[in-house]
Amino acid sequence: MKQRKSTLYYFFRNRNGVLGLCGVALIMAIGLIGPLFLAKPQGYTTDILVAPGAAHWLGTDSLGLDILAELVWGARTSLYVSVLALLVAAAIGLPLGLVSGYFNNWFSGLIDGFIDIFLTIPMLPLMIIMAAIMGANITNVALILGIFSWPSLARVTRNSTLKIREMQYIEAANSMGLSKMRILFRHILLNASGPVFVNLTLVMASAVLSEASLSFLGLGDPTTWSWGTMLKRAWSANAVITSPNPWWWWLMPSLCIVLYVVCFNLFGMALNDTLNPKGRS
Amino acid sequence: MSRYLIRRVVRGLLTIFISVSLTFFIVRAMPSDPVSLMVSPQMTPAAQQAMIESYGLNQPLLVQYGKFLLQLFQGNLGTSFSKHIPVTQYLLERLPWTLMLLAAVMVLVLAIGIPVGVLAARKRGKLADRIISVLVTLGISVFIPFISFLLLYVFAFRLKILPTGGAYTPPRGAGLAYWLDVGKHLILPAVALTITNLANAVMYTRNSMIEVLHEDYIRTAYSKGNDTKRVIRVHALKNAMIPTVTVIGLQIGTMVGGAVVTETVFSWPGVGRLIYDAVNALDYPVLQGAFLLLAVAVVVMNFLTDLAVAWLDPRIRLGGQ
Repeated sequence: MKQRKSTLYYFFRNRNGVLGLCGVALIMAIGLIGPLFLAKPQGYTTDILVAPGAAHWLGTDSLGLDILAELVWGARTSLYVSVLALLVAAAIGLPLGLVSGYFNNWFSGLIDGFIDIFLTIPMLPLMIIMAAIMGANITNVALILGIFSWPSLARVTRNSTLKIREMQYIEAANSMGLSKMRILFRHILLNASGPVFVNLTLVMASAVLSEASLSFLGLGDPTTWSWGTMLKRAWSANAVITSPNPWWWWLMPSLCIVLYVVCFNLFGMALNDTLNPKGRS
Repeated sequence: MSRYLIRRVVRGLLTIFISVSLTFFIVRAMPSDPVSLMVSPQMTPAAQQAMIESYGLNQPLLVQYGKFLLQLFQGNLGTSFSKHIPVTQYLLERLPWTLMLLAAVMVLVLAIGIPVGVLAARKRGKLADRIISVLVTLGISVFIPFISFLLLYVFAFRLKILPTGGAYTPPRGAGLAYWLDVGKHLILPAVALTITNLANAVMYTRNSMIEVLHEDYIRTAYSKGNDTKRVIRVHALKNAMIPTVTVIGLQIGTMVGGAVVTETVFSWPGVGRLIYDAVNALDYPVLQGAFLLLAVAVVVMNFLTDLAVAWLDPRIRLGGQ
């Protein structure tokens, strides 16, 4: 109990971390609650490319849809994508990392080799190919992102497991005759949770970046709003270099993406500093 | 050294093999009919049948796989659906543009990243270090289209001093004027990619420099009467650069494909843009070929990085013997 208290204590002393956490909480709240207040932007209206003002706080796009509503619905998509990607990555990466770190046989060596090789293969082009084949659907995109995020998670889990398996309490657990599953998931995973949590925040941040990149390349879901899809539309309409310039159209979704990722990164870095006692000052 | 090299080469070949196999099975394992993926619907039925047979799509999967690997060894990557030219030729036409872009990015990242990282390490905890660390946080979070849009808006739209896209102003000229024109088109994509890659270079240089500056031999160097500048330049930098070189090498290798977004925004005619075009045209032979090229690029870059690191760190060079 004392350890947990001090971890929280150190976390809340880290200003950047608190900032990041607030940002993450705010985005989650907007994504979860926002769509209840703002109707899903659909069809088209006559208010084309209206600058930010009282009627449309953040202006409208070339179809006359409200940018603010699109952003709020986009936040929901980003959350959905990053949570689903996280679950998929954890479902693949955690067991593989645990198994390859705990056991010392040919199989764990094989997994380790695979992790190494997958870490060097460029993931974005693979995601592009898969998204193109599987079709534009937000769940597919999230699954693809998750499938391709497991190597770094497995690597981190493996490294922690390698260290923890040498500890005496694992020997004790072994000699008590606990099952391997119980040792792996209860005794090792729980104690490796620091670095693993940090990596999970990074997975969430990079899932949003990758989703935005895929949508930007036209591989997103045309039936859902996402920040990447908004950018794709703005870019296709030459919004950045036409005059008069509808700056709100391309700037707002970009800012949302950057804010989301900055908040997750700040949160993750602070978590890293707090959970790693060497980082405390 | 030779054992070290052989191990790396074997691992590299294995990486290429796995990547290629992965794309092969991804393209074919999809629920949709592989024939319809690999054969353009615009072809005549006779041409479609010839295509199906040349790919061996009517044969069992493992036979197809063996044939595919065999063709790969012969340098045959098939024919592009959309351009009707051999994929190899199509890729080789685009590759120099990407390499040009990446060379520019690498020079910029090293020339800016290392001095800034060293500065941050020397001023650790002071104002300069804190400002740099904020910029690094922003840098690792940046979204390439965003930074590209900002650059386009400021330099191409407002100031009108740089072109909005492409690699040269058509028609294609010759001589010095042509290369100056290409250089002008190169600036914005190169800067956009540099910004996204700089953060890591700075962070790694800073952290390893801080570690190196605590080593015994640095104290020795100081006690021999060297000034700070000389200690850092001669004694510390070579060791501190090892992680930076590793990271930049890996990033550049990945960027042959990771530049898809940047090349698309700026219409830069490289491999990244080719991938974008191939996806939109559902040009599967080209995608498969492009992916092979990426895997090769990553492996070659890793190998060059290993060589550079071995050169920087004699322990690796000698340890393998």
